Amino acid sequence: MSELLAVEGITKSFKLKRNWFQKKEFIALAPLSFSIESKKTLAIVGETGSGKSTLAKILVGAESPSNGKIFLNGQLLHKQQLKQRCQHIRMIFQDSGTTLNPSLTILQLLDEPLKLNTNLNESQRRQLIRQTLQKVGLLGDHMNFYPHMFSGGQKQRISLARAIILQPQVIILDEALAALDPSLRSQMINLLLDLQQQMGLAYILISHNLGIVRHFSDQVMVMSQGEVVERGETLSVMKNPKHKVTKKLMMSQNFQLKHHK
Amino acid sequence: MNLLDIRNLSIELKTKNQNILAVDRVSLSMKEGEVRGLVGESGSGKSLLAQAIIGVLDDKWHVHADRFHWRGIDLLRLDIEERKSILCRDIAMIFQEPMASLDPTTTIGEQLAEAIDSKQLSGFFWQKQQQRKEAVIRLLHKVGIKKHIQCIRSYPHQLTEAICQRVMIAIALASRPVLLIADEPTAAMESTNQGQIFRLLASLNQLKNMSILLISHDLENITHWTNTITVMYSGQFVEAGTTEQIFNKPLHPYTRALVDSSPKANLQLPSKSRLMTLPGSIPILQHLPIGCRLGPRCPRAQRACVEAPKVQNYHGHKVSCHFSLKDTY
Repeated sequence: MSELLAVEGITKSFKLKRNWFQKKEFIALAPLSFSIESKKTLAIVGETGSGKSTLAKILVGAESPSNGKIFLNGQLLHKQQLKQRCQHIRMIFQDSGTTLNPSLTILQLLDEPLKLNTNLNESQRRQLIRQTLQKVGLLGDHMNFYPHMFSGGQKQRISLARAIILQPQVIILDEALAALDPSLRSQMINLLLDLQQQMGLAYILISHNLGIVRHFSDQVMVMSQGEVVERGETLSVMKNPKHKVTKKLMMSQNFQLKHHK
Repeated sequence: MNLLDIRNLSIELKTKNQNILAVDRVSLSMKEGEVRGLVGESGSGKSLLAQAIIGVLDDKWHVHADRFHWRGIDLLRLDIEERKSILCRDIAMIFQEPMASLDPTTTIGEQLAEAIDSKQLSGFFWQKQQQRKEAVIRLLHKVGIKKHIQCIRSYPHQLTEAICQRVMIAIALASRPVLLIADEPTAAMESTNQGQIFRLLASLNQLKNMSILLISHDLENITHWTNTITVMYSGQFVEAGTTEQIFNKPLHPYTRALVDSSPKANLQLPSKSRLMTLPGSIPILQHLPIGCRLGPRCPRAQRACVEAPKVQNYHGHKVSCHFSLKDTY
């Protein structure tokens, strides 16, 4: 299978203003490369300040990298072509309650990306919204509701609908499963896995729940202070973690892989 | 003798249109030196229950109980002032968001000093200032903060979340409580910090024989630290037992679903396979189902479930279900 998304040597540094002569730079991301295939999931784990959210922001285009290139399907993504990028790379945030605009109905919320990125007419857009809502396990009639009428789990489904409505290829889940209740979280995991099979999506999962990472991802990348300290197949990394950051993470969650063939 | 013994506690919210039974006849008992987990998803009334125990609910909530004993004293018979003085002396609580619960306008040192009861200080009035300072430093050392001078001088926003939670625990420890109620002490915290806080609570339990009621929405997070667990769903009692009983032989379909749906507990499950889940979502308070509130979502629900089941006790493993999974093991 060919590479869907490839990242080469991405760095990000912020300038700290001290005074004229002592200019200091804070390096949020050291040179970093990885690639991901369709229908695969890459998990990124690490502590706060390890640069995983910065990486996610750079991939969706909310921040521009200081250096490095991003390739999608072998094509270089330019800084200016945000349109192309936001069609193919979408993101779901942690707190679904605050990312949905409370003054718009679900129809208007989901209509916005379609209006901006496609040439569909109104009835086609409505049809697509109805289909997408059904895909994430809601009813088509829910489109006339406002976000406050939904529960937390349903809001997260709406964020997912907003992410998949443009038929993207990569979805970034920034702690998207952390704030959900356990019984809703397993529903969401099942839904995401189904969609991955149906639509051939690639996920980039940012999480610190190692149980979910173990279940959900094919590959894992452990980050610490802007650098990748360990990477590889999820199971093999978790079976014998090498770097001390990985060991510490696993210790702190009393996480041990025992039963594996 | 049980430390805390609550039978059939109900909490009712009286509004103009209707009365909502937010917590429906929940029983909870705690032994001395025990760490009990109280698990429930959002809207299960676990925080309400904790607030009812320490009596900080405001007037619109009405609390009834058949029995409410604290170390053999019937708290329901005492008047409010006496009850308050007992609860203040013996129970302390820490809250979910440490940053939000600390006063942002005063330093940590002042807030800690305020929490220390002057009865604990011996000596003349000119010595008390110094003693109070020493007590603050001792408290900070107790919760594992070594840089006490820096910490005393700083404001809550200058510290990290984990340190703030430690300070909260220190404030709770100031009155030397017998029972500590921890309402989601590690929500929205890094996993490494979570481990630290849990280890601190566990060591306090071991060294000081302090009982802890640990409230959490996630079963898998707290199992390592608890002796016994009580599970609640949507304001109703579901199941209570030792951690091993709950995890290895859950009797209630809801507990079973919680255990099965956690990817961490099912490590033998092949990755990317479907997880077991309950259909539907958690009911909101205005539209609670009658009888067993799990009914519409329950895989084993039958006609009898429209009436709330009675609690059954199998060797200390209590379950509230008409069709418990007892026969399947």
